[in-house]
Amino acid sequence: MILALLIILPLAAGPLAWLTGRWSRSAPRWISLAAMALDLALAVALWIHGPMETSWGWIPQLGIGFTLSLDGLSILMVALTAFLGVIAVAASWKEIKDRVGFFHFNLMWTLAGITGVFLASDLLLFYFFWELMLVPMYFLFLWGQEKRSAAGMKFLIYTQSSGLLMLLAILVLYFMHAGATGVYTFDYAALLQTPAAGPAANMLMFGFFIAFAVKMGVPPFHGWLPDAYTHAPTAGTLLLAGLMAKTGAYGLLRFVLPLFPEQALQFAPMGMALGAAAILYGGLMAFSQTDLKRMVAYTSISHMGFVLLGIFAPTAQSQQGAVILMLGHGAATGALFVMAGALQERLGTRELGRMGGLWETAPRMGGTMLFLALALMGLPGTANFIGEFLVLVGAWRTSIPLATVAALGMILSVIYALWMIQRVFQGPNRENWKFPDFSLRETVAAAAMIGVVLWIGLYPKPISTAAGPVLDRTMPRADLSAQDEGGEP
Amino acid sequence: MAELLWLIPALPFAGFLALALLGSRMPRPLVATIGAGTVGLSALAAIAASLALAGSAGAEEGITRTLWTWISVGGFAPAVALRLDALSAVMTLVVTIVGFLILLYSTEFMAGDEGYSRFFCCMDLFVGAMLTLVLADDLLLLYLGWEGVGLSSYLLIGFWYKAEANVRAARKAFIVTRVGDTAFALGLALIATQLGTLRIQEVAERAPLFWGAGSGMAVAAAALMLGGALGKSAQLPLQTWLPDAMAGPTPVSALIHAATMVTAGVYLIARMHALFLLAPVVMGATAVIGAATLLMAGLSALTQSDLKRALAYSTISQVGYMFLALGVGAWSAAIFHFMTHAFFKSLLFLAAGAVSMRLRGEHDMFRMGGLRRALPGAFWAFVIGAASLSALPMVTAGFYSKEMILERVWSSPRGAGWLWAAGLIGALITALYAFRMVFLVFFGEKRQETEGRSGARVMFPLAALAALSIGGGFVPMSRGTWEAHALPLTLAASLASLLGIAGAWFLFHRRRGMTERLAGSPAGALLRRFWAGGWGFDQAYDALLVRPFVRLTRASREEFADPYSKGVARTAGALHHLLSRTVTGQLRWYAMAIAAGTILLIGMAVFL
Amino acid sequence: MTFRDLLPLLPLMLPALTAVAILLLLAFHRSHRLTAWLAAGGLAAALLLIPFACEGAPRRFGALLVVDGCALFYTGIIMAAALAVAAFSYGYLARRRGHVEEFYVLLLLATTGGAVLTASSHFATFFLGLEVLTVALYTLIAYERGAFGIEAGVKYLVLAAVSTAALLFGVALIYAELGTMEFSKIASLLDAGAPVSLLMPAGVALILVGVGFKLALTPFHLWAPDVYQGAPAPTAAFLSTVSKGAVFAAAMRYLVPLDLPSHRSLWLAVAALAVVSMLAGNLLALRQGNIRRVLAYSSIAHMGYLAAMLLTGSPLATAAAMFYLLAYFVTSLGAWGVIAALSEKEGDAERIEDYRGLAGRHPWLAGALTLMLLSLAGMPLTAGFISKFFLLTAGVEGRLWAPMAALLLGSAIGIFYYVRIIAMLFAPQEDAPPVRATHWAAGAAIGALVLLLIALGVYPAPVLAIIQSLIAASS
Repeated sequence: MILALLIILPLAAGPLAWLTGRWSRSAPRWISLAAMALDLALAVALWIHGPMETSWGWIPQLGIGFTLSLDGLSILMVALTAFLGVIAVAASWKEIKDRVGFFHFNLMWTLAGITGVFLASDLLLFYFFWELMLVPMYFLFLWGQEKRSAAGMKFLIYTQSSGLLMLLAILVLYFMHAGATGVYTFDYAALLQTPAAGPAANMLMFGFFIAFAVKMGVPPFHGWLPDAYTHAPTAGTLLLAGLMAKTGAYGLLRFVLPLFPEQALQFAPMGMALGAAAILYGGLMAFSQTDLKRMVAYTSISHMGFVLLGIFAPTAQSQQGAVILMLGHGAATGALFVMAGALQERLGTRELGRMGGLWETAPRMGGTMLFLALALMGLPGTANFIGEFLVLVGAWRTSIPLATVAALGMILSVIYALWMIQRVFQGPNRENWKFPDFSLRETVAAAAMIGVVLWIGLYPKPISTAAGPVLDRTMPRADLSAQDEGGEP
Repeated sequence: MAELLWLIPALPFAGFLALALLGSRMPRPLVATIGAGTVGLSALAAIAASLALAGSAGAEEGITRTLWTWISVGGFAPAVALRLDALSAVMTLVVTIVGFLILLYSTEFMAGDEGYSRFFCCMDLFVGAMLTLVLADDLLLLYLGWEGVGLSSYLLIGFWYKAEANVRAARKAFIVTRVGDTAFALGLALIATQLGTLRIQEVAERAPLFWGAGSGMAVAAAALMLGGALGKSAQLPLQTWLPDAMAGPTPVSALIHAATMVTAGVYLIARMHALFLLAPVVMGATAVIGAATLLMAGLSALTQSDLKRALAYSTISQVGYMFLALGVGAWSAAIFHFMTHAFFKSLLFLAAGAVSMRLRGEHDMFRMGGLRRALPGAFWAFVIGAASLSALPMVTAGFYSKEMILERVWSSPRGAGWLWAAGLIGALITALYAFRMVFLVFFGEKRQETEGRSGARVMFPLAALAALSIGGGFVPMSRGTWEAHALPLTLAASLASLLGIAGAWFLFHRRRGMTERLAGSPAGALLRRFWAGGWGFDQAYDALLVRPFVRLTRASREEFADPYSKGVARTAGALHHLLSRTVTGQLRWYAMAIAAGTILLIGMAVFL
Repeated sequence: MTFRDLLPLLPLMLPALTAVAILLLLAFHRSHRLTAWLAAGGLAAALLLIPFACEGAPRRFGALLVVDGCALFYTGIIMAAALAVAAFSYGYLARRRGHVEEFYVLLLLATTGGAVLTASSHFATFFLGLEVLTVALYTLIAYERGAFGIEAGVKYLVLAAVSTAALLFGVALIYAELGTMEFSKIASLLDAGAPVSLLMPAGVALILVGVGFKLALTPFHLWAPDVYQGAPAPTAAFLSTVSKGAVFAAAMRYLVPLDLPSHRSLWLAVAALAVVSMLAGNLLALRQGNIRRVLAYSSIAHMGYLAAMLLTGSPLATAAAMFYLLAYFVTSLGAWGVIAALSEKEGDAERIEDYRGLAGRHPWLAGALTLMLLSLAGMPLTAGFISKFFLLTAGVEGRLWAPMAALLLGSAIGIFYYVRIIAMLFAPQEDAPPVRATHWAAGAAIGALVLLLIALGVYPAPVLAIIQSLIAASS
């Protein structure tokens, strides 16, 4: 029941916010904030408590259960969801002025869907939540920027059609399992017991993989991403980049590797190559952008490339790195999008060419952005460094050339991150911008995100302790050689 | 004391944090006190720790303190651990003491700047990062310090961020060193996967066990480390960032060139010497790079007109000596030279800063001259620094360290005569350009009036560093210089130095006109431009890397997936229109369609 | 024949009796309200009788009718749908001048025809039901919309006649071949290996033409957009639900026993119809600017999805089809209900542009329409999600790869035009006219449909259990 509460809280807060929004502008904000704060508190409590599982019947005729389970990996993601949920409410406090209630309804429901994705332990339930978050997310585009409707539509079509592929794969898996065991069930734990085999299994894996790759924005499945990230409202982009991209990575770890161990292992070099390509592509494109949000969007592609590389390496280090990078990216890149939103709110533009020299006017914003740029380039002390370095170590074990390519990405990241800082905050203030620096609300939000990035960067042990046992179960790995054992201090 | 080892880096970090969070609201004296004071305290802590280390029984072993396990994944567990041994003690002392003197100097030097607290904030971060680097017992922690140093240098080089050029210089510094850092990171990945640890001591123990001498892995690991060192230490071919780095305030240059940043590479190689010993090829490369760099940068220094730029090339050249020493396995000689270099180079920079402070920020040597009367303090400080840089025999610290390097290069089995010769020629060039600066700036006719007087906070660091530039050579490390067989070598080195100084007097003071004519001749001008421009490296990189990169990114600004998405949308749209044309609204057409469908369906049912 | 024997048949008869009663009444007294109440009462009574009728099922009435669980299920949803249509009609017709009472008579007659179709087990009843349904529809379509409606009615009349002719001819061919018009006998004769010539598949194909026309499967779909556009909104609701559902139920009863998978050519023909309908329907709707035409095209696609269920004939497929039809009824009625409610007062809300900013003007109607469209698109928490999932499950079970691929492709296209309308609903609009209340009957019907939509989408297990037990009892 407690697990369901994690989903019910935002699910209930949504309509409440919508209703109260008819009379008050601030009520939806406070309601949403309270719901997400409670969610966060609950998540932290559950983190301390440890794994748990709940199950109710849902559609027993087809072996579908309302099964939620929480393990180390999901709790991390759920906690991130609640955390970014709080930030998302805070970030849209001033930005959203019309139809506040409806906005928060969509925000809450998207978050509920995402939380559900991280908790579901029944494949159909997973798909249910997977699709559930799409429509409210699409509605969030209503409050977006210039090309919002086209961007939202692109997002919807890409994710929905790839999701259908996954549904098809789920169904085939279901019947394969039934054929092998005679038991018709969508239960994750049961399906794990009978790994898919044969040539069809490859197709199934691709069905899952494509859905997840689209969400992560892995080229060439990323066509929706730059526009969507750019034209969504701040909270929307935060959710897209900070959380939805993670649902893809989570799906790979939770489903693709454990359900199709052999096929995934065969596919691993290809997956790693895709990751490395994403790193380079995102890095190069980020540098050439003139729109701040779009630029950050491409850095996101690059970082998700690291995650993909880490997942498919597949070693204990690299997968841990991928998980840590997911969290770090969620906080740091999320914060960058909030930053971009705050700048746009003040300047009315996202064009880098029109910015410059803003440090003098807004040193607090400058300092924040500088820190985030450092996280972007994976400077030690930030969560991103731990993630990228572990991915690098793991990838090196599997493929030295690809690890080297990934390392090239680290050079690219410095180039674009510094370029970004230079164009926004340094140089002459050509247009004589003057605007208020971060308000208290914004400062607290930024500080919270920076705090998370630093915390994970300096003391990631709670993360690795939580995720480690889950990752070790994802698939058989041969990386714990004698040499490593000798490495224990 | 050992328990409090963490205080040494923590103090500057605390200063950094305090200034970062509250600095903008603090009064300036408080900023100065926190900025310089934390580093001063750190210096005291370092002295106390070093004394404790020297007094303890395990002085050879060093003290190690693990603060916490940083990461722990699948048997790979880098820790946040500090280690104080002879090597790191020397480094720590130099960094904290020289750093403190520079900061003290800055409290006055930067007095008029609006970014006062930001300056000290970054400087504290710089010192703290460097201390983390030298004290780290784990390569990953070392890497943290390593990157932290890069970051702070970036922030400080671009300190005056409103000028595009400064920012560009800062960015260049970060990116170029990051190229080296990436090699370093890859090296870490290699070591971590192969040896299963990043603890420096364990790496040193395991590397010989796991890898044979000259084995591919050892060579690769050492080469990647070397790559990192080259970037940070501005050695060929990654030296291009350092001359531009003088865009920052002068004390920053002093800190970058003397105590932090550029010496990180030297320290890294000295720290990892067990690994380098397994890779003779890499050591050879290190020596050759060092020799080539010292010659190349020396000649560049000789042709600069900007005082700070000349000093920058001088640093590249002197670090080249250190690399040469490292390449032949003369670890302690390299560190010794690092130490003396820290003293005299910071002295030179600070003295140069004192000069330009009095000349409204002038850096062009050709617009200076005859300043020895007007600025006696700066003059003597500069002369002492230059003398030490030129390795004026017997009396200067620089002489002992450089002589030691040359002697080792000659006598070491890894050394070679031609490397020694390069070093010797380099020594001559060093003396030549060092005193060229002296003569151009302080002698000859006066071209500008000075204004104001430097206060105690400027003069005291100069005096202290001058004393160290002289006396720093008499530390115990210089033992062994006076072995009998080395006498001819010593004489050669001394001669080179004296010859250089004399040559400088002749060319740049006595017969300055002749030199200028020579430099003005077509061949001379060409050579001069080539040397002064850093041997065309910038242009080459620009043409080979930067511009193609920019062109590539500009050309591919459009999303490659867009045409596909658009194509799908357009195809669907076209199909829609095509199909829409069948819905004509005409009954006969509809009936025809039904008839056709019927025929088709029957055909399918019957004939398929 | 006792009352108990008659009980299963009663739901089928009640609408007809009500129609007669209304006709009698109208001879003396015209009252829109009374007529509507009577019609609604008759339909509601029929609906309420169904659970009791189930107890007597299955029951055969000679060779002509078989009232089993499935038939009653279909009859039930047809009655419910007719009830909803009646509710929509009241407000819709109230604002129109002229004689509106006969509309309900025709509605009841058409419903009777549909109900008979679902229970038909013989081509005679099949044809009878079809004609009763169709003839009533001619008028319903042309009712009270002027020249536009008449054009639509005539189009439907002519084309339906053509297709019915084809169907009749097909029946004749089969009778010529096998000497029977009873569905079960046809199937058993074929099973027993009765020698058949090419006339047999040709006959089935001709029957498919008739069915395909009613379901508006491509290429027999061209009438749909024009008729949906021209007909009054409640009629369109009826047309897209009851008329299609009844024909599909009959087709199911006829075709499933034939065991299509064992007749390769017929299987291919049906598969082709299904696949082509899915793609053509969705593509035609893609950039359509008229919401009625969008719904027409969308229903073509949905009938294509549904037709794919004829291809396996497994119990799962039957259940999936029944559930899908139920969900489709709810959704389609809801959507048309909203259109009818809006047409009450704002002229005929047709162009998508007319719906701009509806969320600001009629939040509840806009919300309902949004949910309906999301359900059509197959989004979670709505019946559409679960029903599409069942459909896919059955499709995968039956290895219908090509139809399922077309379904996925169609869904991907579909999302575009459904969401385009939704986006229009929520687009900002400055000069919003004042809100006017919807008639309570329509409002209640829409509200009930919304609740049903969500209930089916959130917890479909009970309904699925009922459907499965009905299937189990019928076979």
